[in-house]
Amino acid sequence: MNKTLKTLLLTLTLVTSVTAQNHIIDQKGKTFIPHAVSVSPGDTITFRNSDPFAHNAYTDDEDNEFDIGMQSTGTEKVITIKAGKDFSVECAIHPNMLLEVAVK
Amino acid sequence: MKTLLSLLFLLAPLFSNEQFELGQKIYEDTCTSCHGKSGNADVDVVFVVKPRSLKASILTEEQSYKIIKDGAHYWGASADIMPAFGTVYEDKALHAVAYYIKKRFNPNIEEKIDHYYNESETISVEKRSKMMQRGKKIYKRNCSWCHGVDAKGDGDATRNPEKSIYPYNLRKTLLNNKQMFLYAKYGGKFWGTDKDDMPAWKVKYNDFTLKSVIFYIEQTFQKDTQG
Repeated sequence: MNKTLKTLLLTLTLVTSVTAQNHIIDQKGKTFIPHAVSVSPGDTITFRNSDPFAHNAYTDDEDNEFDIGMQSTGTEKVITIKAGKDFSVECAIHPNMLLEVAVK
Repeated sequence: MKTLLSLLFLLAPLFSNEQFELGQKIYEDTCTSCHGKSGNADVDVVFVVKPRSLKASILTEEQSYKIIKDGAHYWGASADIMPAFGTVYEDKALHAVAYYIKKRFNPNIEEKIDHYYNESETISVEKRSKMMQRGKKIYKRNCSWCHGVDAKGDGDATRNPEKSIYPYNLRKTLLNNKQMFLYAKYGGKFWGTDKDDMPAWKVKYNDFTLKSVIFYIEQTFQKDTQG
């Protein structure tokens, strides 16, 4: 790999890491707060549990499928967004919880 | 024989009245400190798990009798709050309390159960073959977090550092399939529990899915107690 290519790749990596955003979603009062978020590929979503009981977050979306498992009170879990279409996130324990994720 | 039957028929209300009065006396002496005089647990006591409203309860008279006799923990409650009175009162008295609770607070519970159940979708023969698969998927996805993969009421969510939920051991519950379906559909609060830890799953799943879950539970988990 020549020096120019290496520099270009390094620059691209730095640009991506600088522009990627972290979106914090609080789980409070059996609600995702905010209940909708707009993200780009490479961004991260941090799920924070501020309730005094366990939560979960999952999606069956084929591009961004994930399940963070059991999330205890006061903890955070992070997922990274891949390219794809808009999707919904639910909590497997509390059926009223819904987060709409718009992928740019 | 006919005369004897007629006599028993005429005397039946007297026996019922006697049973009601005995049940009322024991209820007022023993049960009101937790369940309140009105049956709504409107008492000035702080509970880990507040007693359910006896007016909204889904339990039949026979089920109430068993819980009064053996305690709620024996029949699947993970919190050992409702004690067993089987060693305190004789059987006749326990039956009288259950009779009083039904007559006073929830006289039409069987009709109420049938009413709500009959409103639900009847599962067609074609769909029945898909119930096990559907029920298993949803039980594992949603129910097992609290009730546990083996339905013993010890799912991952019960291990939260702040202990705040007390799911039932489904291998021990007294509820029949109809009652379990209605509990899953409308949630615990609708049927008298203080908190909505058992949510109303009707917001997410249709009757077919919820009946499939109950079918899966029935077919998969052996009962630990004799109902």
